[in-house]
Amino acid sequence: MTLTIAARNVLRNRRRTLISLLVIAVGLTILSFVLGFVGEAIRATERSLVMELGALQIGDPRVLDGRASGLEGLIPPEVLERALALVQALPGVTGVTSQIRFAGLVGDAEGSTLLLARGVVPEDCMDEYACVLASGRALGDPVAREIVLGARLAARLGVEAGDRVNVATGTAAGAFNAATVTVVGTVRLADSQAEERLGLVPLGFAQRLLRTDGVERVLVWLDDLDQAPAAAAALADSFSAAGVPLGVRRWDELTPFFSSIATFWRAFSGFTTLAVFVLVFFSVLEVLTIAFLERTREVGTVRALGASRGRVFVGFVSEGLLLGALGGLLGVASGIALSLLFNALGLSFVPPGGNMPQPIRVSVGAATVGPPFLVALGATLLASLYPAGKNARLTVVEALRAL
Amino acid sequence: MGQGSFCYVKGTPVLEARELTKFYTLGKEKVRALDRVDFTARQGDFTVVNGPSGSGKSTLLNLLALIDRPSAGEVLFEGKPTSTLPERALAHLRREKIGLVFQTFNLIPVLSAAENVEYPLLLTRTPRAERRERVRAILAEVGLSDLARRRPDELSGGQRQRVAVARALVTQPRVVLADEPTANLDSATGKQIMELLQGLNREHCVTFVVVTHDPAVVPYAERVLTIRDGRIGGEERRGEPRPA
Repeated sequence: MTLTIAARNVLRNRRRTLISLLVIAVGLTILSFVLGFVGEAIRATERSLVMELGALQIGDPRVLDGRASGLEGLIPPEVLERALALVQALPGVTGVTSQIRFAGLVGDAEGSTLLLARGVVPEDCMDEYACVLASGRALGDPVAREIVLGARLAARLGVEAGDRVNVATGTAAGAFNAATVTVVGTVRLADSQAEERLGLVPLGFAQRLLRTDGVERVLVWLDDLDQAPAAAAALADSFSAAGVPLGVRRWDELTPFFSSIATFWRAFSGFTTLAVFVLVFFSVLEVLTIAFLERTREVGTVRALGASRGRVFVGFVSEGLLLGALGGLLGVASGIALSLLFNALGLSFVPPGGNMPQPIRVSVGAATVGPPFLVALGATLLASLYPAGKNARLTVVEALRAL
Repeated sequence: MGQGSFCYVKGTPVLEARELTKFYTLGKEKVRALDRVDFTARQGDFTVVNGPSGSGKSTLLNLLALIDRPSAGEVLFEGKPTSTLPERALAHLRREKIGLVFQTFNLIPVLSAAENVEYPLLLTRTPRAERRERVRAILAEVGLSDLARRRPDELSGGQRQRVAVARALVTQPRVVLADEPTANLDSATGKQIMELLQGLNREHCVTFVVVTHDPAVVPYAERVLTIRDGRIGGEERRGEPRPA
């Protein structure tokens, strides 16, 4: 009956209850939306980085840590072969590819400009670029003299699919080398600066140009990103046991800026959560204090009938929790509705320094529903403790004398 | 109610006050509300404590009901002193052995008549089926079977006081203490309530202590104590103890 009484007391002053529920619901709607937005922002950044970098990267530790250039720490074919065998034995691997990154010049008789090229295995990873192809086609032949240029770079050079350009670079041994390649397509990238310098060439051609048979790094994708730390540790152990002289780095170790971004967003979420908690706490505290004060005489009655202080306390706290649960459900439901509505609008924006409109989405799930609901319960629980404790501590005679 | 069996011990002291004294502090002044009162309520007694406003009646009742503590003296319940008992033990005695009827009914507004009556049984952890049966029986006895589902605000003053009486009796207490039970009722309804209390006392041998300043209540008592300025001024026995 404690809950029955609590429920009926919640409905006793409908106007006051409605105001409390509205305050809780509005706070939670905002919180749920913010958490959904922040969660999606972090996940979108994460997805984008992992798509480009892989969940794990394998290579010479000096290269992976930026202490040496890619060409100084190339992976020889026999080492690569042993490493790939160990990677394939790892559970949860969904994709593996090798790359060489190199810098050079690209241009024609009219002039040249900086090129940050990647030698890639077309069949392994051109899908991600194919989806952002601005013109032409993706790379196909693994050794062909072909290049896909960043759209901005192509525009700067005044070339388009079908045109030919010269690529010049230093070989692995430090000599100069150059080749004429056919532009087969252009790609758009989210990062406009990267788009002004990017060139993708088949790995086989890159190796010929650099006069090497090695690769710079191996990228590994996993079916579950949360398993990256365990997979990295397992792979490092197996390399060590097999005498493979390569290091393993997780995607987040390769992008230290990501943790700064994520920390910023999480701090923003935390601040919003705290603000909503404080808002709900003080609103509900005021309402419950008045509501409980009005029922002091009832406290005296039930205490006179033999109810313990604890029972009185639990009764009032149940009322606060019930209010929190109702407000929480209402707030979470309206938060979900707002998020779905927002997503249905299909809004997008071009980020600073960006090149392409990015969709703005708000995720909806346990992470955006659970914490707001707990905030409602926590704030109302805390708000009910003081007035409930005050009422429960009254002597029976004091309580019965209340007007 | 199955309390007739109590009558075999009719006359046994249930509630006793020994040199009961209560001071209140008003500002810097100490007011003596009750001054060395001696009083015994025996099993089956119907006692009325009569006196004007401010005479100490309610203070005495609060002390006898174990909802307040004396400044000096002792309240004995079933022969055992209560002044050293912790609040938890006093609450236990109140819910198990004392029934209370208030001047202003003091029903819980969000509960129906039946639920108000059931509430003390929840405190005593009485099983659900037994609770329902006892509530049904006591509501029938006070003539409220048809109004069991009504909330207090849907009942008249007399009906509310009947609910309060049913609530006081549903736990089959050793003693029922009533504080001005007719004060908020018209005279006809007050008469009905007093007849109800008297009937319950005679039928179930429940001990009643009623404090009042209403002279119309006095004729229902076997024993009348007059209190004035915090002291028992006199005692009048109006009837012989009835056989069990």
